[in-house]
Amino acid sequence: MSAHDVPILLEVRHLTKTFRNFRAVDDVSFCVDKGEIVGLVGPNGAGKSTVVHMLAGLITPSAGTFSMFGKSLNTHREQILQRLNFTSPYVAFPARLTVRENLAVYARLYNVSDPMDKIADLLDRFDVRKLANKPISRLSSGETARVALCKAFLNDPELLVLDEPTVYLDPLIALEVRDVLLDLQRSRGTSILYTSHNMAEVERMCNRVVFLSHGRVTATGSPIEVTRAILAEHRDEPALEEVFIRIARRQRDATS
Amino acid sequence: MRLHRIEAVILRHMYELRHNTNHLINMLYFPVVNIVMWGFITIYLTNHQRLQPGLTSSLLGGVVLWGFFYGFQRDMGQGFLEEVWTRNLVSLFSTPLSVSEYINALVCVNLIKALIGLALESGIALLCYHFNIFPWLVEFIPFIAVLMFFGLSVGVVITSLIVRYGSRLESLAWSFAGVLMPFSCVFYPLKTLPVFLRPFALALPTTQSFEGMRQVLAGQGFSVVDFQWGLTLDAAYIALAILLFRRMFESARSRGLLIKME
Repeated sequence: MSAHDVPILLEVRHLTKTFRNFRAVDDVSFCVDKGEIVGLVGPNGAGKSTVVHMLAGLITPSAGTFSMFGKSLNTHREQILQRLNFTSPYVAFPARLTVRENLAVYARLYNVSDPMDKIADLLDRFDVRKLANKPISRLSSGETARVALCKAFLNDPELLVLDEPTVYLDPLIALEVRDVLLDLQRSRGTSILYTSHNMAEVERMCNRVVFLSHGRVTATGSPIEVTRAILAEHRDEPALEEVFIRIARRQRDATS
Repeated sequence: MRLHRIEAVILRHMYELRHNTNHLINMLYFPVVNIVMWGFITIYLTNHQRLQPGLTSSLLGGVVLWGFFYGFQRDMGQGFLEEVWTRNLVSLFSTPLSVSEYINALVCVNLIKALIGLALESGIALLCYHFNIFPWLVEFIPFIAVLMFFGLSVGVVITSLIVRYGSRLESLAWSFAGVLMPFSCVFYPLKTLPVFLRPFALALPTTQSFEGMRQVLAGQGFSVVDFQWGLTLDAAYIALAILLFRRMFESARSRGLLIKME
């Protein structure tokens, strides 16, 4: 339980990942409470994707631990991944299969009951029903991203890890997708770990933000708390764009 | 291990088979071309009295069973490569799907495909060249199983290397069996090989299968020794292949290669 008696779904402790001599993630700790949306943000190369991939079991940590639903991925992989879903625009689906076929395969993997009803409902919610019988290869990047979001909700995940879910979407579609995500999150109480470079989106979506730079946590808190801490001045509104630029410049200057 | 996840991977490959003509070509076209060509060669050699009639069966039997082995090990590697080419690997392995469930599903799919190829080749051999494999089928099945398990080991080894070193090694899926073929005694008995190569040939389950097949075709009955040796070697190779796969998969996870693989 966290300090305010809400169950912690994800707890990351001193997570570190080193590739040869490069430390991509350095002693990162944070948690995600039940029903919370946490933004994991930072400049390119800050270590966001590496953290997310470690949580999905795709990269092994060099040091540190994390637990989901109070269990370790090393010992409870099947149970944890059944309750979690992960999606990223940088992964793809088998291109020759239709949208419906791809989702049917994932529905079977998660043992979804009434898979066809579930798929139809999600295709409607993300406004891609008309694409159901099209092969993935014929979809635009934005359409594929929305199909990936359908996949992400197939198993009614308690914890959803979304890596830049709106990166390929135009502003209108991105807005609509954010509304659907918020609606699904509120109605199902899903916790979301969310990475994005769109700071306005992060301010709108996230209860809390974990800012990474050079693989380390630079700031953490609500968007307004992080804004005040990093800009070192009083603000009434969050200004994560400014925060981001300041942190990115620091990271670039330190690298050069 | 959960059946629904194995079914899901089978479903994924069945859909692929429906949409991807390359798979149909691999499954149907190559076995047909193979047996037709070898059939004509055996007719030519028989008509010119350079080949005893009994050896015709031996040659065509070798073609049919080698086609089964080659197709099975190739499709094991190619099945995994499909996930790499479509960058589906990350999505698949971020679900509860385990590596053993994935491999079991690939075995089921590729066994069906290889058996269809085997049936097709056997049918053409019967209709066009009067070589009837079916009366020997019961005695062939154990040797087909030995070939299948060895095909599985080879497929898993190739997949392991692709996991660790990337799809630049993808041509192994098509070419690796070719290296084994001369030493597997597919078309000639073991004693044809030079003495120094025989221990290497005997270490291959394929050699045990083809030696056993020739004994059956020669009317000398089922060779329990060849079958037992083949199966023992298969067990050792499968254990080594699984060990290698685990090491390579963990190494790939540790180096972050699963994410970058394409």
